Amino acid sequence: MGHSVTVDKVEPKKFELPSNGKVILFAMMGVGLATLLAGFAIDQKRVWHAYLTNYFFFSSLAVGGLFFTAIQHATNAGWSVNIRRVSESMTAFLPVVFIGGLVLLASGSQLYMWLDHDVVANDAILKGKSAYLNLGFWAVRMVLFVGLWLFFAKKIVGHSLAQDQDGDEKWTHKMVPLSIAFLLVFALSYSLFSVDLLMSLDAHWFSTIFGVYCFAGLFQSTLAFMILMTLYCRGKGWVTGLMTTEHTHDLAKFLKGFTVFWAYIAFSQFMLIWYANLPEETIFYLHRSHGGWMEVSMALLVFKFVVPFVALMPRWAKRTPKHLIMVCLLILVMQFVDLYWLVYPNYSHEHATFPLMGVGIFIGFLGLFLFTVTGFLAKHNLVPVRDPRIHESLSHHVTY
Amino acid sequence: MAKRQSGVAGIWSDDEKILEAAAKMRDAGYKKFDAITPFPVHGMEEAVGIKRSGIPYVTFVAGVTGCCLGLYMQYWMSAVSWPINVGGKPMFSIPAFIPVTFEITILFAALFSVGAMFFLNGLPKVDPPIIDPDLTSHKFALWVPDDEVGYSVEKVEAFLKELGAEEVKRMAEY
Repeated sequence: MGHSVTVDKVEPKKFELPSNGKVILFAMMGVGLATLLAGFAIDQKRVWHAYLTNYFFFSSLAVGGLFFTAIQHATNAGWSVNIRRVSESMTAFLPVVFIGGLVLLASGSQLYMWLDHDVVANDAILKGKSAYLNLGFWAVRMVLFVGLWLFFAKKIVGHSLAQDQDGDEKWTHKMVPLSIAFLLVFALSYSLFSVDLLMSLDAHWFSTIFGVYCFAGLFQSTLAFMILMTLYCRGKGWVTGLMTTEHTHDLAKFLKGFTVFWAYIAFSQFMLIWYANLPEETIFYLHRSHGGWMEVSMALLVFKFVVPFVALMPRWAKRTPKHLIMVCLLILVMQFVDLYWLVYPNYSHEHATFPLMGVGIFIGFLGLFLFTVTGFLAKHNLVPVRDPRIHESLSHHVTY
Repeated sequence: MAKRQSGVAGIWSDDEKILEAAAKMRDAGYKKFDAITPFPVHGMEEAVGIKRSGIPYVTFVAGVTGCCLGLYMQYWMSAVSWPINVGGKPMFSIPAFIPVTFEITILFAALFSVGAMFFLNGLPKVDPPIIDPDLTSHKFALWVPDDEVGYSVEKVEAFLKELGAEEVKRMAEY
Protein backbone atom coordinates (compact mmCIF):
# COMPACT_ATOMS: atom_id res chain seq x y z
CA MET A 1 0.00 0.00 0.00
CA GLY A 2 1.12 3.49 -0.58
CA HIS A 3 4.03 2.76 -2.87
CA SER A 4 3.89 1.49 -6.37
CA VAL A 5 6.75 -0.70 -7.48
CA THR A 6 7.60 -1.84 -10.95
CA VAL A 7 8.29 -5.52 -10.58
CA ASP A 8 10.45 -5.98 -13.67
CA LYS A 9 13.24 -4.04 -11.94
CA VAL A 10 13.97 -6.93 -9.56
CA GLU A 11 17.48 -8.05 -10.35
CA PRO A 12 19.46 -9.41 -7.42
CA LYS A 13 23.17 -9.78 -8.01
CA LYS A 14 24.78 -13.20 -8.04
CA PHE A 15 25.79 -14.91 -4.81
CA GLU A 16 29.53 -15.49 -4.82
CA LEU A 17 31.80 -17.05 -2.24
CA PRO A 18 35.02 -15.14 -1.64
CA SER A 19 37.83 -16.51 -3.84
CA ASN A 20 39.30 -18.65 -1.04
CA GLY A 21 35.84 -19.58 0.30
CA LYS A 22 35.72 -23.06 -1.14
CA VAL A 23 39.20 -23.84 0.12
CA ILE A 24 38.22 -22.79 3.64
CA LEU A 25 35.02 -24.85 3.52
CA PHE A 26 36.91 -27.92 2.33
CA ALA A 27 39.52 -27.36 5.03
CA MET A 28 36.70 -27.24 7.61
CA MET A 29 35.28 -30.48 6.27
CA GLY A 30 38.77 -31.94 6.49
CA VAL A 31 39.03 -30.96 10.16
CA GLY A 32 35.67 -32.61 10.81
CA LEU A 33 36.60 -35.81 9.02
CA ALA A 34 39.98 -35.96 10.76
CA THR A 35 38.31 -35.52 14.16
CA LEU A 36 35.81 -38.23 13.31
CA LEU A 37 38.49 -40.72 12.26
CA ALA A 38 40.80 -39.87 15.15
CA GLY A 39 37.80 -40.13 17.47
CA PHE A 40 37.03 -43.64 16.33
CA ALA A 41 40.59 -44.63 17.13
CA ILE A 42 40.55 -42.99 20.58
CA ASP A 43 37.10 -43.36 22.10
CA GLN A 44 34.19 -44.68 20.05
CA LYS A 45 31.51 -43.97 22.62
CA ARG A 46 32.62 -40.39 22.92
CA VAL A 47 32.87 -39.72 19.20
CA TRP A 48 29.35 -41.07 18.62
CA HIS A 49 27.99 -38.62 21.19
CA ALA A 50 29.85 -35.81 19.45
CA TYR A 51 28.50 -36.94 16.07
CA LEU A 52 24.92 -37.14 17.33
CA THR A 53 25.07 -33.63 18.83
CA ASN A 54 26.21 -32.13 15.55
CA TYR A 55 24.00 -34.27 13.36
CA PHE A 56 20.96 -33.12 15.29
CA PHE A 57 22.10 -29.48 15.25
CA PHE A 58 22.45 -29.34 11.48
CA SER A 59 19.52 -31.55 10.51
CA SER A 60 17.37 -29.22 12.62
CA LEU A 61 18.67 -26.24 10.65
CA ALA A 62 17.99 -27.97 7.34
CA VAL A 63 14.43 -29.01 8.13
CA GLY A 64 13.94 -25.69 9.96
CA GLY A 65 14.54 -23.86 6.69
CA LEU A 66 11.80 -25.93 5.07
CA PHE A 67 9.51 -25.28 8.04
CA PHE A 68 9.97 -21.51 7.70
CA THR A 69 9.30 -21.70 3.97
CA ALA A 70 6.18 -23.78 4.54
CA ILE A 71 4.62 -21.37 7.05
CA GLN A 72 5.09 -18.52 4.59
CA HIS A 73 3.16 -20.42 1.89
CA ALA A 74 0.53 -21.77 4.26
CA THR A 75 -0.24 -18.26 5.53
CA ASN A 76 -0.02 -16.59 2.10
CA ALA A 77 2.66 -14.30 3.51
CA GLY A 78 3.79 -11.47 1.30
CA TRP A 79 6.41 -9.72 3.43
CA SER A 80 8.81 -12.66 3.42
CA VAL A 81 9.02 -13.29 -0.32
CA ASN A 82 12.39 -11.56 -0.69
CA ILE A 83 14.05 -13.57 2.08
CA ARG A 84 12.44 -16.89 1.20
CA ARG A 85 15.38 -18.04 -0.90
CA VAL A 86 17.52 -17.93 2.23
CA SER A 87 15.27 -20.37 4.07
CA GLU A 88 14.94 -22.50 0.93
CA SER A 89 18.71 -22.70 0.62
CA MET A 90 18.97 -24.41 4.00
CA THR A 91 17.07 -27.40 2.64
CA ALA A 92 20.00 -28.06 0.29
CA PHE A 93 21.57 -29.83 3.28
CA LEU A 94 18.74 -32.41 3.51
CA PRO A 95 20.46 -35.05 1.34
CA VAL A 96 23.36 -34.97 3.81
CA VAL A 97 20.83 -35.37 6.65
CA PHE A 98 19.64 -38.53 4.92
CA ILE A 99 23.13 -40.02 4.59
CA GLY A 100 24.13 -38.83 8.05
CA GLY A 101 21.06 -40.55 9.46
CA LEU A 102 22.03 -43.82 7.85
CA VAL A 103 25.50 -43.42 9.40
CA LEU A 104 23.90 -42.89 12.78
CA LEU A 105 22.09 -46.22 12.47
CA ALA A 106 25.51 -47.85 12.74
CA SER A 107 26.17 -46.39 16.19
CA GLY A 108 24.77 -49.48 17.86
CA SER A 109 24.81 -49.66 21.61
CA GLN A 110 27.57 -47.04 21.83
CA LEU A 111 24.78 -44.48 21.98
CA TYR A 112 21.54 -46.29 22.69
CA MET A 113 21.27 -48.87 25.43
CA TRP A 114 18.11 -50.25 23.85
CA LEU A 115 20.20 -51.51 20.94
CA ASP A 116 22.12 -53.81 23.30
CA HIS A 117 20.31 -57.18 23.38
CA ASP A 118 21.78 -58.23 26.72
CA VAL A 119 20.71 -55.02 28.42
CA VAL A 120 17.19 -55.22 26.99
CA ALA A 121 16.80 -58.88 28.00
CA ASN A 122 17.49 -58.01 31.64
CA ASP A 123 15.45 -54.81 31.76
CA ALA A 124 11.66 -55.00 32.11
CA ILE A 125 11.14 -51.36 31.06
CA LEU A 126 13.25 -51.63 27.92
CA LYS A 127 11.60 -54.93 27.08
CA GLY A 128 8.24 -53.21 27.30
CA LYS A 129 9.42 -50.48 24.93
CA SER A 130 11.14 -52.83 22.50
CA ALA A 131 8.18 -52.87 20.10
CA TYR A 132 9.05 -49.26 19.27
CA LEU A 133 12.70 -49.02 20.25
CA ASN A 134 14.42 -51.58 18.04
CA LEU A 135 16.91 -51.25 15.22
CA GLY A 136 14.58 -52.31 12.41
CA PHE A 137 11.72 -49.96 13.23
CA TRP A 138 14.13 -47.14 14.02
CA ALA A 139 15.75 -47.54 10.60
CA VAL A 140 12.32 -47.48 8.95
CA ARG A 141 11.39 -44.30 10.84
CA MET A 142 14.68 -42.61 10.02
CA VAL A 143 14.35 -43.33 6.30
CA LEU A 144 10.66 -42.40 6.31
CA PHE A 145 11.05 -39.10 8.16
CA VAL A 146 14.06 -37.76 6.30
CA GLY A 147 12.64 -39.20 3.08
CA LEU A 148 9.42 -37.24 3.61
CA TRP A 149 11.35 -34.05 4.34
CA LEU A 150 13.36 -34.55 1.17
CA PHE A 151 10.18 -35.16 -0.82
CA PHE A 152 8.48 -32.01 0.44
CA ALA A 153 11.65 -29.95 -0.01
CA LYS A 154 11.96 -31.13 -3.58
CA LYS A 155 8.32 -30.20 -4.25
CA ILE A 156 8.04 -26.91 -2.37
CA VAL A 157 11.47 -25.49 -3.21
CA GLY A 158 11.25 -26.95 -6.71
CA HIS A 159 7.98 -25.13 -7.38
CA SER A 160 9.52 -21.89 -6.19
CA LEU A 161 12.48 -22.35 -8.52
CA ALA A 162 10.20 -23.30 -11.41
CA GLN A 163 8.33 -20.04 -10.87
CA ASP A 164 11.61 -18.16 -11.28
CA GLN A 165 11.73 -19.54 -14.82
CA ASP A 166 8.16 -19.12 -16.07
CA GLY A 167 6.59 -16.68 -13.58
CA ASP A 168 3.41 -18.74 -13.55
CA GLU A 169 0.98 -18.02 -10.73
CA LYS A 170 -0.12 -21.67 -10.54
CA TRP A 171 3.04 -22.56 -8.59
CA THR A 172 2.01 -20.21 -5.78
CA HIS A 173 -1.36 -21.93 -5.51
CA LYS A 174 0.20 -25.39 -5.65
CA MET A 175 2.59 -24.63 -2.81
CA VAL A 176 -0.20 -23.91 -0.30
CA PRO A 177 -1.67 -27.43 0.12
CA LEU A 178 1.84 -28.90 -0.09
CA SER A 179 3.01 -26.65 2.71
CA ILE A 180 0.02 -27.42 4.91
CA ALA A 181 0.61 -31.13 4.38
CA PHE A 182 4.27 -30.68 5.22
CA LEU A 183 3.50 -28.78 8.43
CA LEU A 184 1.36 -31.69 9.64
CA VAL A 185 4.01 -34.22 8.66
CA PHE A 186 6.71 -32.08 10.24
CA ALA A 187 4.93 -31.79 13.59
CA LEU A 188 4.72 -35.55 13.93
CA SER A 189 7.96 -36.60 12.28
CA TYR A 190 10.22 -34.07 13.97
CA SER A 191 8.76 -34.90 17.40
CA LEU A 192 9.43 -38.60 16.90
CA PHE A 193 12.80 -37.81 15.30
CA SER A 194 13.86 -36.02 18.49
CA VAL A 195 12.40 -38.79 20.66
CA ASP A 196 14.34 -41.41 18.68
CA LEU A 197 17.63 -39.56 18.57
CA LEU A 198 17.79 -37.66 21.84
CA MET A 199 15.16 -38.75 24.34
CA SER A 200 15.88 -42.45 23.90
CA LEU A 201 19.51 -41.88 24.93
CA ASP A 202 18.12 -42.49 28.39
CA ALA A 203 15.38 -44.89 27.37
CA HIS A 204 13.98 -45.16 30.90
CA TRP A 205 13.17 -41.49 30.99
CA PHE A 206 10.32 -39.78 29.17
CA SER A 207 8.86 -36.33 28.75
CA THR A 208 5.78 -35.66 26.65
CA ILE A 209 6.89 -32.12 25.85
CA PHE A 210 10.29 -33.21 24.56
CA GLY A 211 9.48 -32.86 20.87
CA VAL A 212 8.23 -29.31 21.36
CA TYR A 213 11.36 -28.48 23.32
CA CYS A 214 13.52 -29.61 20.41
CA PHE A 215 11.29 -27.74 17.97
CA ALA A 216 11.74 -24.53 19.98
CA GLY A 217 15.51 -24.87 19.63
CA LEU A 218 15.12 -25.69 15.95
CA PHE A 219 13.16 -22.57 15.14
CA GLN A 220 15.28 -20.28 17.29
CA SER A 221 18.48 -21.43 15.61
CA THR A 222 16.90 -21.43 12.13
CA LEU A 223 15.89 -17.79 12.50
CA ALA A 224 19.32 -16.86 13.86
CA PHE A 225 21.00 -18.49 10.87
CA MET A 226 18.59 -16.84 8.43
CA ILE A 227 19.31 -13.41 9.90
CA LEU A 228 23.06 -13.99 9.59
CA MET A 229 22.71 -15.12 5.97
CA THR A 230 20.42 -12.20 5.12
CA LEU A 231 22.86 -9.74 6.68
CA TYR A 232 25.74 -11.34 4.78
CA CYS A 233 23.96 -10.91 1.45
CA ARG A 234 22.98 -7.35 2.35
CA GLY A 235 26.51 -6.50 3.46
CA LYS A 236 27.87 -7.69 0.13
CA GLY A 237 25.44 -5.41 -1.67
CA TRP A 238 23.88 -8.23 -3.69
CA VAL A 239 20.32 -7.51 -2.66
CA THR A 240 20.17 -3.73 -2.22
CA GLY A 241 16.55 -2.63 -2.06
CA LEU A 242 15.40 -6.28 -2.06
CA MET A 243 16.36 -7.53 1.40
CA THR A 244 16.21 -4.49 3.63
CA THR A 245 16.37 -3.45 7.26
CA GLU A 246 12.60 -4.00 7.35
CA HIS A 247 12.93 -7.71 6.56
CA THR A 248 15.75 -8.16 9.05
CA HIS A 249 13.70 -6.30 11.65
CA ASP A 250 10.77 -8.69 11.25
CA LEU A 251 13.03 -11.73 11.33
CA ALA A 252 14.54 -10.39 14.55
CA LYS A 253 11.07 -9.93 16.03
CA PHE A 254 10.36 -13.53 15.09
CA LEU A 255 13.64 -14.54 16.75
CA LYS A 256 12.77 -12.71 19.94
CA GLY A 257 9.34 -14.32 20.04
CA PHE A 258 10.79 -17.80 19.70
CA THR A 259 13.49 -17.05 22.26
CA VAL A 260 10.65 -16.53 24.71
CA PHE A 261 8.92 -19.63 23.33
CA TRP A 262 12.02 -21.74 24.02
CA ALA A 263 12.18 -20.50 27.62
CA TYR A 264 8.46 -21.11 28.03
CA ILE A 265 8.71 -24.72 26.86
CA ALA A 266 11.95 -25.40 28.74
CA PHE A 267 10.40 -24.10 31.93
CA SER A 268 7.15 -26.01 31.36
CA GLN A 269 9.12 -29.22 31.11
CA PHE A 270 11.21 -28.42 34.17
CA MET A 271 8.44 -27.16 36.45
CA LEU A 272 6.11 -30.12 36.03
CA ILE A 273 8.90 -32.61 36.67
CA TRP A 274 10.18 -30.59 39.63
CA TYR A 275 6.71 -30.24 41.14
CA ALA A 276 5.60 -33.85 40.75
CA ASN A 277 8.98 -35.04 42.01
CA LEU A 278 8.73 -38.58 40.61
CA PRO A 279 12.13 -40.33 40.67
CA GLU A 280 11.73 -41.78 37.17
CA GLU A 281 11.32 -38.23 35.80
CA THR A 282 13.60 -36.19 38.05
CA ILE A 283 16.60 -38.31 37.08
CA PHE A 284 16.92 -36.17 33.95
CA TYR A 285 17.41 -32.97 35.93
CA LEU A 286 19.38 -34.74 38.65
CA HIS A 287 22.00 -35.69 36.07
CA ARG A 288 22.08 -32.11 34.89
CA SER A 289 22.51 -30.46 38.29
CA HIS A 290 25.75 -32.04 39.54
CA GLY A 291 29.39 -32.21 38.59
CA GLY A 292 29.55 -29.07 36.48
CA TRP A 293 26.26 -29.71 34.72
CA MET A 294 24.45 -27.21 36.95
CA GLU A 295 26.63 -24.47 35.50
CA VAL A 296 25.71 -25.57 31.98
CA SER A 297 22.00 -25.62 32.90
CA MET A 298 22.25 -22.09 34.32
CA ALA A 299 24.22 -20.92 31.27
CA LEU A 300 21.30 -22.10 29.12
CA LEU A 301 18.83 -20.06 31.15
CA VAL A 302 20.98 -16.94 31.04
CA PHE A 303 22.47 -17.05 27.55
CA LYS A 304 19.75 -18.80 25.59
CA PHE A 305 16.94 -16.75 27.10
CA VAL A 306 17.74 -13.79 29.37
CA VAL A 307 20.56 -12.18 27.39
CA PRO A 308 19.02 -12.55 23.90
CA PHE A 309 15.63 -11.48 25.26
CA VAL A 310 16.99 -8.23 26.68
CA ALA A 311 19.38 -7.72 23.76
CA LEU A 312 16.54 -7.99 21.22
CA MET A 313 14.11 -5.78 23.11
CA PRO A 314 14.82 -2.25 21.77
CA ARG A 315 13.83 -1.32 18.26
CA TRP A 316 17.33 -0.18 17.31
CA ALA A 317 18.72 -3.59 18.35
CA LYS A 318 16.67 -5.29 15.65
CA ARG A 319 17.80 -2.79 13.02
CA THR A 320 21.52 -2.69 13.77
CA PRO A 321 23.41 -5.40 11.83
CA LYS A 322 26.47 -5.51 14.11
CA HIS A 323 24.37 -5.97 17.22
CA LEU A 324 22.16 -8.58 15.55
CA ILE A 325 25.18 -10.59 14.39
CA MET A 326 26.41 -10.86 17.98
CA VAL A 327 22.99 -11.97 19.26
CA CYS A 328 22.49 -14.51 16.47
CA LEU A 329 25.95 -16.00 16.99
CA LEU A 330 25.24 -16.26 20.71
CA ILE A 331 21.97 -18.07 20.01
CA LEU A 332 23.61 -20.51 17.61
CA VAL A 333 26.36 -21.26 20.12
CA MET A 334 23.76 -21.76 22.84
CA GLN A 335 21.77 -24.09 20.58
CA PHE A 336 24.93 -26.22 20.39
CA VAL A 337 25.30 -26.01 24.18
CA ASP A 338 21.63 -27.01 24.52
CA LEU A 339 22.19 -30.16 22.47
CA TYR A 340 25.43 -30.83 24.35
CA TRP A 341 23.38 -30.54 27.54
CA LEU A 342 20.83 -33.03 26.18
CA VAL A 343 23.35 -35.56 24.84
CA TYR A 344 26.53 -35.53 26.93
CA PRO A 345 25.15 -36.27 30.41
CA ASN A 346 24.36 -39.69 28.93
CA TYR A 347 28.05 -40.05 28.17
CA SER A 348 29.09 -38.91 31.63
CA HIS A 349 26.86 -37.32 34.20
CA GLU A 350 29.63 -37.49 36.81
CA HIS A 351 31.26 -34.40 35.40
CA ALA A 352 30.78 -32.15 32.42
CA THR A 353 33.59 -32.59 29.92
CA PHE A 354 34.50 -30.09 27.25
CA PRO A 355 33.27 -31.61 23.96
CA LEU A 356 36.56 -31.29 22.09
CA MET A 357 35.54 -33.90 19.51
CA GLY A 358 32.13 -32.24 19.34
CA VAL A 359 33.74 -28.95 18.34
CA GLY A 360 35.98 -30.64 15.76
CA ILE A 361 33.05 -32.42 14.17
CA PHE A 362 31.02 -29.20 14.40
CA ILE A 363 33.60 -27.45 12.23
CA GLY A 364 33.30 -30.25 9.69
CA PHE A 365 29.52 -30.20 9.67
CA LEU A 366 29.51 -26.40 9.43
CA GLY A 367 31.79 -26.57 6.41
CA LEU A 368 29.54 -29.11 4.73
CA PHE A 369 26.38 -27.17 5.65
CA LEU A 370 27.72 -23.86 4.31
CA PHE A 371 29.02 -25.65 1.21
CA THR A 372 25.55 -26.97 0.32
CA VAL A 373 23.74 -23.77 1.30
CA THR A 374 26.04 -21.39 -0.56
CA GLY A 375 26.08 -23.81 -3.50
CA PHE A 376 22.29 -23.49 -3.69
CA LEU A 377 22.37 -19.71 -3.40
CA ALA A 378 25.05 -19.37 -6.06
CA LYS A 379 23.06 -21.55 -8.47
CA HIS A 380 19.74 -19.71 -8.18
CA ASN A 381 18.43 -16.15 -7.92
CA LEU A 382 18.93 -14.69 -4.44
CA VAL A 383 15.31 -13.54 -4.49
CA PRO A 384 12.25 -15.29 -6.01
CA VAL A 385 12.17 -12.68 -8.74
CA ARG A 386 8.86 -13.64 -10.33
CA ASP A 387 6.76 -14.42 -7.28
CA PRO A 388 3.35 -12.74 -7.73
CA ARG A 389 3.49 -11.31 -4.20
CA ILE A 390 6.91 -9.73 -4.56
CA HIS A 391 5.54 -6.18 -4.62
CA GLU A 392 4.33 -6.69 -1.04
CA SER A 393 7.81 -7.65 0.04
CA LEU A 394 9.48 -4.85 -1.92
CA SER A 395 7.40 -2.21 -0.16
CA HIS A 396 7.51 -4.00 3.18
CA HIS A 397 7.65 -1.49 5.97
CA VAL A 398 7.70 -1.98 9.74
CA THR A 399 5.62 0.65 11.46
CA TYR A 400 6.91 1.91 14.77
CA MET B 1 -10.87 14.40 28.00
CA ALA B 2 -9.15 16.13 25.18
CA LYS B 3 -9.86 19.78 24.64
CA ARG B 4 -11.94 20.77 21.62
CA GLN B 5 -10.12 22.95 19.12
CA SER B 6 -11.06 24.89 16.04
CA GLY B 7 -9.11 24.32 12.86
CA VAL B 8 -9.03 23.62 9.15
CA ALA B 9 -9.34 20.27 7.37
CA GLY B 10 -8.27 19.46 3.82
CA ILE B 11 -9.86 16.43 2.21
CA TRP B 12 -8.43 14.07 -0.42
CA SER B 13 -9.84 10.92 -1.98
CA ASP B 14 -6.51 9.26 -2.79
CA ASP B 15 -4.14 7.82 -0.18
CA GLU B 16 -1.09 8.33 -2.41
CA LYS B 17 -1.83 12.03 -2.75
CA ILE B 18 -2.49 12.68 0.90
CA LEU B 19 0.77 10.93 1.74
CA GLU B 20 2.62 13.35 -0.54
CA ALA B 21 0.68 16.32 0.82
CA ALA B 22 1.42 15.32 4.41
CA ALA B 23 5.14 15.09 3.68
CA LYS B 24 5.09 18.54 2.07
CA MET B 25 3.19 19.96 5.01
CA ARG B 26 5.76 18.51 7.41
CA ASP B 27 8.59 19.97 5.32
CA ALA B 28 6.85 23.37 5.33
CA GLY B 29 7.28 23.43 9.11
CA TYR B 30 3.85 22.33 10.32
CA LYS B 31 4.13 20.46 13.61
CA LYS B 32 0.76 19.72 15.16
CA PHE B 33 -1.31 18.64 12.20
CA ASP B 34 -2.75 15.16 11.95
CA ALA B 35 -3.99 12.78 9.27
CA ILE B 36 -7.42 11.17 9.52
CA THR B 37 -7.75 8.07 7.36
CA PRO B 38 -10.22 5.18 7.20
CA PHE B 39 -7.40 2.60 7.27
CA PRO B 40 -3.70 2.61 8.15
CA VAL B 41 -1.72 4.26 5.36
CA HIS B 42 1.83 2.92 5.26
CA GLY B 43 4.47 5.57 5.70
CA MET B 44 2.01 8.07 7.21
CA GLU B 45 3.87 8.29 10.54
CA GLU B 46 6.99 9.51 8.78
CA ALA B 47 5.02 11.76 6.44
CA VAL B 48 3.21 13.52 9.28
CA GLY B 49 6.42 13.56 11.30
CA ILE B 50 5.01 11.65 14.27
CA LYS B 51 7.75 10.60 16.64
CA ARG B 52 7.84 7.11 18.13
CA SER B 53 5.37 6.77 20.95
CA GLY B 54 6.51 6.42 24.53
CA ILE B 55 4.26 3.42 25.16
CA PRO B 56 7.05 0.80 24.92
CA TYR B 57 8.83 2.40 27.87
CA VAL B 58 5.62 2.41 29.91
CA THR B 59 5.14 -1.27 29.03
CA PHE B 60 8.68 -2.12 30.09
CA VAL B 61 8.56 -0.32 33.43
CA ALA B 62 5.08 -1.70 34.19
CA GLY B 63 6.24 -5.20 33.29
CA VAL B 64 9.27 -5.06 35.55
CA THR B 65 7.13 -3.64 38.37
CA GLY B 66 4.53 -6.38 37.89
CA CYS B 67 7.23 -9.02 37.91
CA CYS B 68 8.68 -7.81 41.23
CA LEU B 69 5.30 -7.27 42.86
CA GLY B 70 4.01 -10.67 41.73
CA LEU B 71 7.02 -12.47 43.13
CA TYR B 72 6.92 -10.49 46.36
CA MET B 73 3.19 -11.11 46.80
CA GLN B 74 3.71 -14.87 46.61
CA TYR B 75 6.75 -14.74 48.87
CA TRP B 76 4.77 -12.84 51.49
CA MET B 77 1.72 -15.10 51.25
CA SER B 78 3.51 -18.46 51.18
CA ALA B 79 6.55 -17.84 53.34
CA VAL B 80 5.68 -14.99 55.71
CA SER B 81 1.98 -14.50 56.37
CA TRP B 82 0.72 -18.11 56.20
CA PRO B 83 3.49 -20.64 55.55
CA ILE B 84 2.22 -23.97 54.20
CA ASN B 85 4.47 -26.94 53.62
CA VAL B 86 3.81 -28.23 50.08
CA GLY B 87 5.43 -31.57 49.35
CA GLY B 88 8.37 -30.80 51.62
CA LYS B 89 9.59 -28.08 49.28
CA PRO B 90 11.04 -24.84 50.65
CA MET B 91 8.47 -22.20 51.61
CA PHE B 92 9.93 -19.83 49.05
CA SER B 93 10.22 -22.07 45.97
CA ILE B 94 10.85 -19.90 42.95
CA PRO B 95 9.88 -22.47 40.25
CA ALA B 96 6.40 -22.77 41.73
CA PHE B 97 5.99 -18.98 41.69
CA ILE B 98 7.12 -18.35 38.11
CA PRO B 99 3.73 -18.90 36.37
CA VAL B 100 1.92 -16.39 38.60
CA THR B 101 4.83 -13.96 38.38
CA PHE B 102 4.69 -14.26 34.60
CA GLU B 103 0.93 -13.63 34.50
CA ILE B 104 1.15 -10.57 36.74
CA THR B 105 3.99 -9.22 34.61
CA ILE B 106 1.79 -9.54 31.53
CA LEU B 107 -1.26 -8.11 33.32
CA PHE B 108 0.62 -5.01 34.48
CA ALA B 109 2.34 -4.51 31.14
CA ALA B 110 -0.92 -4.88 29.18
CA LEU B 111 -3.12 -2.70 31.40
CA PHE B 112 -0.57 0.09 31.68
CA SER B 113 0.07 -0.01 27.91
CA VAL B 114 -3.61 0.42 27.15
CA GLY B 115 -3.88 3.13 29.81
CA ALA B 116 -0.87 4.97 28.38
CA MET B 117 -2.31 4.64 24.88
CA PHE B 118 -5.56 6.28 26.03
CA PHE B 119 -3.66 9.04 27.80
CA LEU B 120 -1.27 9.82 24.93
CA ASN B 121 -4.06 9.79 22.35
CA GLY B 122 -6.21 12.14 24.40
CA LEU B 123 -8.94 9.53 24.68
CA PRO B 124 -11.75 9.23 25.43
CA LYS B 125 -12.87 11.94 23.06
CA VAL B 126 -16.61 11.56 23.08
CA ASP B 127 -18.65 12.44 20.02
CA PRO B 128 -16.52 15.03 18.20
CA PRO B 129 -18.29 16.93 15.40
CA ILE B 130 -18.01 15.13 12.09
CA ILE B 131 -15.60 16.63 9.55
CA ASP B 132 -16.87 14.42 6.76
CA PRO B 133 -18.70 11.09 7.15
CA ASP B 134 -16.69 9.64 4.24
CA LEU B 135 -13.51 9.76 6.34
CA THR B 136 -14.54 6.39 7.72
CA SER B 137 -14.86 4.79 4.31
CA HIS B 138 -12.96 6.26 1.37
CA LYS B 139 -11.71 9.78 2.01
CA PHE B 140 -8.62 11.11 3.75
CA ALA B 141 -8.10 14.35 5.65
CA LEU B 142 -5.27 16.47 6.96
CA TRP B 143 -6.38 18.29 10.08
CA VAL B 144 -4.64 21.48 11.21
CA PRO B 145 -5.70 22.60 14.72
CA ASP B 146 -5.63 26.21 15.84
CA ASP B 147 -2.58 25.82 18.07
CA GLU B 148 -0.42 25.02 15.05
CA VAL B 149 2.81 27.01 14.76
CA GLY B 150 2.03 30.33 13.00
CA TYR B 151 -1.62 29.40 12.55
CA SER B 152 -4.02 31.57 10.62
CA VAL B 153 -7.15 30.25 8.96
CA GLU B 154 -6.51 31.95 5.62
CA LYS B 155 -2.90 30.86 5.40
CA VAL B 156 -3.68 27.23 6.19
CA GLU B 157 -6.61 27.18 3.77
CA ALA B 158 -4.46 28.55 0.99
CA PHE B 159 -1.70 26.06 1.73
CA LEU B 160 -4.09 23.08 1.76
CA LYS B 161 -5.49 24.16 -1.61
CA GLU B 162 -2.00 24.56 -2.97
CA LEU B 163 -1.27 20.98 -1.85
CA GLY B 164 -4.20 19.83 -3.94
CA ALA B 165 -6.93 19.28 -1.37
CA GLU B 166 -10.21 18.52 -3.12
CA GLU B 167 -12.16 20.26 -0.40
CA VAL B 168 -11.15 22.56 2.47
CA LYS B 169 -13.38 22.86 5.52
CA ARG B 170 -13.29 25.23 8.48
CA MET B 171 -14.32 23.61 11.72
CA ALA B 172 -15.42 25.61 14.76
CA GLU B 173 -14.49 22.71 16.99
CA TYR B 174 -13.19 19.16 16.62
